[in-house]
Amino acid sequence: MNIKHHPDDATILAYAAGAVTEGFSLVLAAHMESCPHCRGRMAEANALGGELLSEMQPAAMSANGLEDVWSRIDSEPDEEIPAATCHVPVDGVPGILIPYLPDGIDSLHWRSLMPGIRQHVINGIESGRGSVRLLSIAPGTIIPHHTHLGGELTLVIKGAYTDEMGCFQSGDLADLDASVSHQPVAESGEPCICLIATDDRLRFSGVFSRMLQPLIGI
Amino acid sequence: MMLAVTNIIPESENIAGASASETVDRLTSVAVNRDRHAFERLYGYFAPRIKSYMIRQGTDEASADDLAQETMVQIWRKAHHYDPQKAAATTWIFRVARNLRIDRLRKYKLHEVEMPPEVEPGDDEGSGHESYEKRPDADKLRALVDTLPQNQMDVVRLAYFEGLSHSEVSLQLSIPIGTVKSRLRLAFGKLRMGMGEKI
Repeated sequence: MNIKHHPDDATILAYAAGAVTEGFSLVLAAHMESCPHCRGRMAEANALGGELLSEMQPAAMSANGLEDVWSRIDSEPDEEIPAATCHVPVDGVPGILIPYLPDGIDSLHWRSLMPGIRQHVINGIESGRGSVRLLSIAPGTIIPHHTHLGGELTLVIKGAYTDEMGCFQSGDLADLDASVSHQPVAESGEPCICLIATDDRLRFSGVFSRMLQPLIGI
Repeated sequence: MMLAVTNIIPESENIAGASASETVDRLTSVAVNRDRHAFERLYGYFAPRIKSYMIRQGTDEASADDLAQETMVQIWRKAHHYDPQKAAATTWIFRVARNLRIDRLRKYKLHEVEMPPEVEPGDDEGSGHESYEKRPDADKLRALVDTLPQNQMDVVRLAYFEGLSHSEVSLQLSIPIGTVKSRLRLAFGKLRMGMGEKI
């Protein structure tokens, strides 16, 4: 996989700081499964967190704090907590996403938004006023020009699209904020499937698109 | 609000009277030997700092105490997951505290990628970052953090200590969101360059 587009440094820091929505963390983790470069950046951002924690001004613990910790530890059998499940992409679908797609990506219940664009909302993921969704964009389809009130992370799962920033292929992540207005066009060949997380609502610029917005709920 | 904790005495020598590498040894000894003495040394240094971290996230003193205790319990129970090849002990402890904070205060799970050990660190498929995933050098990082300008550190601290998003930092400091992000980029770029990474 030849990944060319990565999350912004500011996004990596916010992720390590724990200052992003659950939806953003899901898309970032999905990107990192196939991006050792960003795993390295994340390791550094986490190391910065460790460094900042160890230089914090201490706040005195309660007098029997340590005793309480031992009694919590000793009240339960000393069983090892199993390590988290490892994530490996399966047929190009990030492993971290698979639990959210129990029937597989090929048998999703897509809902048509407008000609050429179908979506599948992934529920139950904390996203502020935004959402997490998969979009399937038919080859050659143009998504209406829009900006974002908050941020938008788009990870290409299959296919490719092109916008003002360049061509985005499988594994590439577009990290957009309110300053960016874009008009993605799906490449020819296969449909472009993207995982998209927003932390606020989108804003379409044309009158026709604005009328669509309540319908689409993006 | 107090933001600045600059010019504090470098504490690399006195992590409860130990260096960063002794912290690694203690955590490893907790994992391998269930070493209670080593755990108590970790508690002595980290619990008050984790409590301070929880207070900065807006919890009251009693809840912060409780969350710091809970973090220490998790450190005991998860210590065998710690891999000294991948991260400094302080980094791992930070992640445990951060994830507990998000779980308890924000009520969601921060997703992180978990890679199978056999895939790392060689699975870079020619991206030119063969040595990228090595463990960042904690001592080098500490020295670098001290060289960052105050305005960059203010933004970094608001994100890490108060868990504020870019737009919340922007509101709090009354600076445009673009400035928040550019300060974060400058800070991170300087740290990564100092760590010897190819940017």
